[in-house]
Amino acid sequence: MKIIEKIKTNKLAKNQTEIQKICLHKLQSSPLPNPKSELWRLSNKSKFSSFLDYSVSEKDLKSDLPYPKNSQNIIRLVIGENYKINLKEENYSIQQLNEDKLDKFIKEQISCFDQNENWCNLLNLSLSCKNNILGLKINGSKIPPIEIFSHASNNSLNAKTLVIFLEKNCNIELLQVNLGKENSSLSQSTFFFLEENSSLNHGVVSYGENGSNLLNSLNVIQQKNSEYNLGSLHFKFNYARFEINIKQSEGNAKTNIKGMQITKKDEQISTYTKIDFNGPNGFLDQINKSLADDKSHAIFEGSIKVPKIAQKTDASQLSRNLLLSNLAQIDTKPQLEIIADDVKCKHGATISQLNEEELFYMRTRGITLAEASKLQLSSYFQEIISFIPVSKDRWNLLDKLLNEN
Amino acid sequence: MQSKMKESDPILEVKNLFASTDNLPILKGVSLTVYPGEIHAIMGRNGCGKSTLSKIIAGHPSYKITNGDIKFSGENINSLEPEERSQSGIFLGFQYPIEIPGVSNLEFLRVSTNARRKFLNKEELDTFDFEELVKEKLELVKMDKAFLSRSVNQGFSGGEKKRNEILQMALLEPKIAILDETDSGLDIDALRIVASGIKKISNSQTGIILITHYQRLLDEIEPNYVHVMAEGKIIKTGRSDLALELEKNGYEWTDNFVKKT
Repeated sequence: MKIIEKIKTNKLAKNQTEIQKICLHKLQSSPLPNPKSELWRLSNKSKFSSFLDYSVSEKDLKSDLPYPKNSQNIIRLVIGENYKINLKEENYSIQQLNEDKLDKFIKEQISCFDQNENWCNLLNLSLSCKNNILGLKINGSKIPPIEIFSHASNNSLNAKTLVIFLEKNCNIELLQVNLGKENSSLSQSTFFFLEENSSLNHGVVSYGENGSNLLNSLNVIQQKNSEYNLGSLHFKFNYARFEINIKQSEGNAKTNIKGMQITKKDEQISTYTKIDFNGPNGFLDQINKSLADDKSHAIFEGSIKVPKIAQKTDASQLSRNLLLSNLAQIDTKPQLEIIADDVKCKHGATISQLNEEELFYMRTRGITLAEASKLQLSSYFQEIISFIPVSKDRWNLLDKLLNEN
Repeated sequence: MQSKMKESDPILEVKNLFASTDNLPILKGVSLTVYPGEIHAIMGRNGCGKSTLSKIIAGHPSYKITNGDIKFSGENINSLEPEERSQSGIFLGFQYPIEIPGVSNLEFLRVSTNARRKFLNKEELDTFDFEELVKEKLELVKMDKAFLSRSVNQGFSGGEKKRNEILQMALLEPKIAILDETDSGLDIDALRIVASGIKKISNSQTGIILITHYQRLLDEIEPNYVHVMAEGKIIKTGRSDLALELEKNGYEWTDNFVKKT
């Protein structure tokens, strides 16, 4: 694990920024997460090691984006391409966060980080050089849809960080695409700060190629009356870990999450979510789906914390899982930690196989077993896909990718 | 009793059929022959094997044929997959039509219709041509076009599900349709709509097997033959007055019949 050696010997990067120094300092005494902790015990050690086996690359090779930008009405950004963003239109503005504000925000976040729980963020911020941190401040209305790409380069480890402040009363639709390349590792950390009455429809689509690895950490702070909707899809990674940390800082906010991970061959993809309600009248509706085929392994662990201050919280967390092979493995653990006494919370998990009666019904209508299985899987995806803000041309690409063997 | 309509070859011949699931014998020697233009009714107590017979003819993978043959248009179909049976013209109308969330009814109907059309060497229909065809068939079962945009059977009432089955039958134009308790859960009006749809679809070239508990469906569609099943086999065959007799006397006599044999 080349990276860990460099962390230990403080040789990770020349010209370290102050943020990199703070994070490295936090990691140096204990550079790896605790493999016995609940958050890491199921992580495949050899795959995790392969994530850390590449050299850090601060510069990206130009990468072709997976589909053309065919509408002028989309704002498209690629993290690592060094632009100065300063869009001021009649109804809205999108500006780069100034360095001081960006540093202050990140430092505040780091001060709350736990070495084990936030290891992915600490690693990311240790590795991300200035060019690979994109900070934006968005306000106004009638904002065009935004697409933000992160990608890794072959045979290297790339770290990308995105920070977005959504100002009061602002609504946006943002699709984040994380692209893994053959034999590569991508570390992506994203931070959203949603001010009062703002709303974010967020899509995360992450997919790789042979030997791609991903650590994707998403951190959201929601002020009151904000709404955060997340639709996510992770597939085609040798090893991928998606961490979602959401904090409703004053309660009175809405969070909807529909996520899905698809594993094939011997891949391992996991999703860990932690939702903190830090005030009353919070709302959460979460569904996570896993689909595991061949010898692959899918993991979901969800945690909802409802402290005494979070009365009248209404939270639901469901984990639905489809096992397509006798050799595939699914681990799921939705959890609630409730201290408040006036709340409506539920959680549940199911693991099943393709429904044989549905398949038989379709087959009695002349549809072959292969087509029937495909239709059934599409219907399984549909609930999640329809929640991701993707247009038809992007969906066609997704449809093609999802149906590849 | 042998069929009288012997001018043409039978569509379906079930000969001394034995079948089991999880090593539990369900069918214990069923024989049944259906000629073109015939309507057969199969009646019997719950658990006597009626629905199992229909599923086995349609090719349900959970059942194993341990003895006997099913011949369709003269060919043995024991080893055919369910989709091959459907494509060649066997239709099973389900007692409890399955809901398939996320799959649009229109697309489902189009894919299945095209599978049958392909078998018949007919041109497959694109979405636009198919919409024209389906509109015409919707009339038969008095269904609204809005049903097409919903997921297959999801959120449909019992009556709507059964009408959707008959719509599928109309689109697939099967040579033989086995309708498993199509009348259950229907009010009088819905029953008449479904029965009228079945009558309009059937013709002198098709065979129909109605599995039912009640006379009321047979009041709408008069069968040529009524069969009574008990303990996994057909124990009596008669004309439509046999159904009236069953309605009047129930099935108790079948217990004695089974004991004697």
